[in-house]
Order: sequence, then structure tokens, then C-alpha cells
Amino acid sequence: MSIVKDIPSAKKPLKRAYVGIFLWFTGRAIQAAAKVDKEVKKEFDNLPDDFTFSLGCLPNGPWMVIGKRNGAVKYLGGNPSQHKVHVRLAIKSVDAAFLILSFQESTALATARNRLITDGEVPYALAVIRILDIVEVYLLPKIIAGLAVKRYPKQWSAGRKLGGRIGIYARTILGI
Amino acid sequence: MLLPDYYEFCCRVKIVAGHDALEKIPELLTERGAKRPLIITDKGVASAGLIDIVSAAQKDRLFADLIADNVPPDSDLRVVNQLAKLYKENDCDAIIAVGGGSVMDTAKGVNIVVSENAEDLMAFSGVGALKRPLKPLIAVPTTAGTGSEVTQVAVIKDHEKHLKMAFGSYFLLPDISVLDSRMTMTMPPLITAMTGMDALSHAVEAYYCLQKNPLSDAHSLAAVRMIYHYLPIVAENPSDRNARLSMAVGACLAGIAFSNSMVGLVHNLGHATGSVCGVPHGICMAIMLPYGLEYNMHKREEAIAGLLLPMAGEAIYRETPPAQRADKVVSLIRQLNADLNTITGGRHARFFKEVKDREGKPLVPREVLPQIARAALSDGASIYNPEDTDYEDNLMVLEAAWEGIPLDRNKIKRG
Repeated sequence: MSIVKDIPSAKKPLKRAYVGIFLWFTGRAIQAAAKVDKEVKKEFDNLPDDFTFSLGCLPNGPWMVIGKRNGAVKYLGGNPSQHKVHVRLAIKSVDAAFLILSFQESTALATARNRLITDGEVPYALAVIRILDIVEVYLLPKIIAGLAVKRYPKQWSAGRKLGGRIGIYARTILGI
Repeated sequence: MLLPDYYEFCCRVKIVAGHDALEKIPELLTERGAKRPLIITDKGVASAGLIDIVSAAQKDRLFADLIADNVPPDSDLRVVNQLAKLYKENDCDAIIAVGGGSVMDTAKGVNIVVSENAEDLMAFSGVGALKRPLKPLIAVPTTAGTGSEVTQVAVIKDHEKHLKMAFGSYFLLPDISVLDSRMTMTMPPLITAMTGMDALSHAVEAYYCLQKNPLSDAHSLAAVRMIYHYLPIVAENPSDRNARLSMAVGACLAGIAFSNSMVGLVHNLGHATGSVCGVPHGICMAIMLPYGLEYNMHKREEAIAGLLLPMAGEAIYRETPPAQRADKVVSLIRQLNADLNTITGGRHARFFKEVKDREGKPLVPREVLPQIARAALSDGASIYNPEDTDYEDNLMVLEAAWEGIPLDRNKIKRG
């Protein structure tokens, strides 16, 4: 008999499901935003051709993986081990992921509170954070997006907000 | 008061401070079972006679004749590997780093290689890659500025591959920091001024940036009090040994604060200016500090106002209306820069258009400001700044800092 007993972490199925669905939807939304929004496209254009990043929670996920393939940005599913990842944003637990992804804490504040670990080249990681912020502004109503990002972009035109939102939601739902 | 829901704080460095603290080194090494240290330094420190002081302080109590003084101004992977080889060939069992930031970083890199028997230092880069304690490391800072003697990070450059490797781990904290007034006594007023402003920028940014917490705050406030009071004194009277020791302690306190609370826009734009134009880090910090405060004022007015008490004292704090305290802090820092400018005969720059090289040519031409603003987008310090920054924000702040005019706070974008 082993004297060491593994104590599995609590499963927290509801929080895990929320985080999983959020990451799946956001992953597809990033793919969509790279086609719809000029700023997101420019950020990806400045990254290497095979650039791949993952966002998810420790120790067992869920994760989302996004990559540039032949110049196009693709949502690559939820298994980072299948890819060479340049930047990994790892949230320390499902509870912490729920805090961040339910917009009770911004990405910057989560980093400051040691809940989000960033592995990879800093300039790439900063580009990923800027992309995530822009996508959150498109996906969320202003009052919630204001909690998710450091500064809500009030200077965006109504056309950019509305057109971008329609384009990103449509492409995310259709997966194109 | 801003009380974070969660925070972490760690400083397990033993700090030994005094006018004769160096004499304690043999005993400190013996406590750790070490008797054959490798002394790592640079040529500037050695030629200033500081290694002679360190050696003399050991008398016959320590076999400390192995001195490597070839650390370049920028840490270098090749030198790290050379020194690690020297360490192993001579059966050393500890490292004494005597110098500034580059020497400390190099010593930390050497310590990783010799402790982990590493072939490839890159395997240990990033945060949390080190899993066990390293060999004993004693840090002896020769400037009162960087705070590297109490920080858990190191940056080593691979000049051949054009890579900058960053390492972060509690195991990189030196075991002991020895703060001795003799180590900074020969620093000329200009270097004293710029390194002192670097330390002040650590203390101030740590007090208002996103990772601030009550423990880092306590260190920040103590650091601001000491540095603000003693910096002009020591710039004017370089041989004032009490003021020298106070500055060393102030910079150490500031190092503990920012190592646990991080820094923001001042370092963000300062790093970018340094890398684009080659301006010394301390000068960038001195120039940018008032602008960092102004830029973040609408989000951190209460915290910034709180700095007035350690800077100006109780009487001035009380007679300044609460709504004016934060602005007063900014004006006192501008005045400190102006005083240091006077003390150094105009050599301590107050804004970027004043920064010149040895031939008197401007180091920061106005036309490079867009390049600096873009470079700053790749610097990690922006994450911890309370207000968001983008290219236009960076450029706006840089233009004001170049001209030497206060920031027009109505132009700062708000969410």
C-alpha cells in the first residue's frame, strides 16, 4: 500500500463548465475579430507566422488555443499539448479563472494578484493581452467590459462598435 | 486605503548595514558553511578601489583572493559561462557580487549555472523554473539605486543570439545584502543623483501601481522618507557617510517594495528610452517620475497625496489642503530634480531635450519620440500601471517630458 495518497482537487463542475464554454466562445471570437477589426488584425500581423498562444487554467484545463496558420488566425481547439505554444497564459485555478472570466477582475489586476502566470516572450504576451481586451470590448456590454479591461475605449466610433460587434458575433456563431 | 483582496510579499534576504558591515562577511559565510568565495565585479568598481576595501575588510579571516572583474556594463551569457567555469575550477562554494545591477544579474546567472550544473542557462529562464536553493550569494551594492541586492529577478543577454533572458524566482534572492557606506562614498554627484532618483522611482511607483499592498507600502513610505531627505545632502556632500548609509538603506527599502509591488509607466517609458537612445536608466527615471504621477493622478490621487507626509513632513502635510497634496508631491519631485540640476552644475537633466552625450550632442532627438512610444508597447511594466497606455498616450507623455512642461491632464484618456 502506498503511503502517499493523491488528493484530487474539487471538481467544481459548474465553474469548470462556465470557463470551458467561455474559452470556446472567446477562441472563436478571436478568430472572427482578426478578420473584422483592423487593430486585432494588425496585432496578429506583427506576430510570427506560426505564432500560437493558449489561455486556460491549471492544473487540468480547460484551455483554448489560437494560432496563426498560413497568415490566417484560427481557433485550434482546447488541447495545448498538440501545439508548440509561444505564449501561455495560465490561470492558477478554476476559481481564479471564474473570477477573471466572469469579469470580477481585469487581466491586469489578475496578473498583479498573482492569479495569472504568463510564460513566453513579454512583447508577444502583451500583444495577446491587447487582443483579448479588444475582443472583450466587442463581446460584452459596456458596463461589464468596463470591469474586464483597464480602460474602456470611449473614443471608438459607434460604427466601429456596432459593425464590429455584429460581424464578430455572426462569425463566432457560424465559426467562420 | 487600497487593500487588495489577495497579495504576496516575500523578502528573505538578511540585510547587514553599517559603516563597517563588510567586516562581517567571513562570519556570514561561515554560518552558511562556505569558505572559498568567488568575488564578481566590474572594472569600474575595481579601479575605484572598492574591491581593495572589501578585501582589506576580510583581513586574514577569509580566503577571498579569487576576483573576476570582467563583467560588462550589460550582463552577458558568455561572461556568465566563463565565470561559472572559473568557480568550478577553483572549487568555490559561494559568490560575493560587488557592483551595480549588471554585476548582480551576472552573479545570479553564475549561481544558477554552478548550482544546477546547467549546460544551458536558457532552460532556467522564465518564472518559477528554479526548484531548489542555490549556492550562498552575498550582494554588496556599490550604488544606492537599483535595489538588485534584494530582488528576485535577473536579466542575462545572449549577445550572439540577440536574446534577452529573464529569470524570476525566490531562489534568486541573495542570501545576504551587505550595505556599507564605504561602497558608495566615491560616487560622483551626477551618478549619485541619477541612481538616487532611480531608487526614488522604485519607491514611488511601488506605492501607487497595481500590485501595491500594505507590506510593500510600508517599505515604500520608509524609502521615500529616507531618499527624499538624504539625496540632496549626499549629492552636495559626497563624503557624508551617514547620508551615504541612509541612501543605501533607502534604496534597499525601495528595492524590497518594488520587487513585491512592481512598477509602471515611469519604468515602461524609461526602459524604452534607454533601449532606443542609450540614455542611462537613472536619468530616464528622474525625468519620467513626475509624469508617471501626473498620468495616473485621476486613478491614484489618494495614494499619491499620501506621499506628501514622508516627503515634506507633518507641518507641510497638515497645512496643505487635501485636494492639493497630490499636486504638491509632483511639484516637490520636480523641485528635487531642479535642485540636483543645480548641485551637479546643470549635468543632471530635468527633461529629455537637456540630455546630451559627452560631445554635447542631444541623446534624445525629438524625432525619435514615436519610436520610443512604439518600443514601450513591448515592455512588461505597462501591465502594472494603474491607467492603460497605448501608442498615443506614450507619445503624449514623452512629448511633455521632452519639452519639460507639465502634462495636460485634460488630454489623458479615461475609460
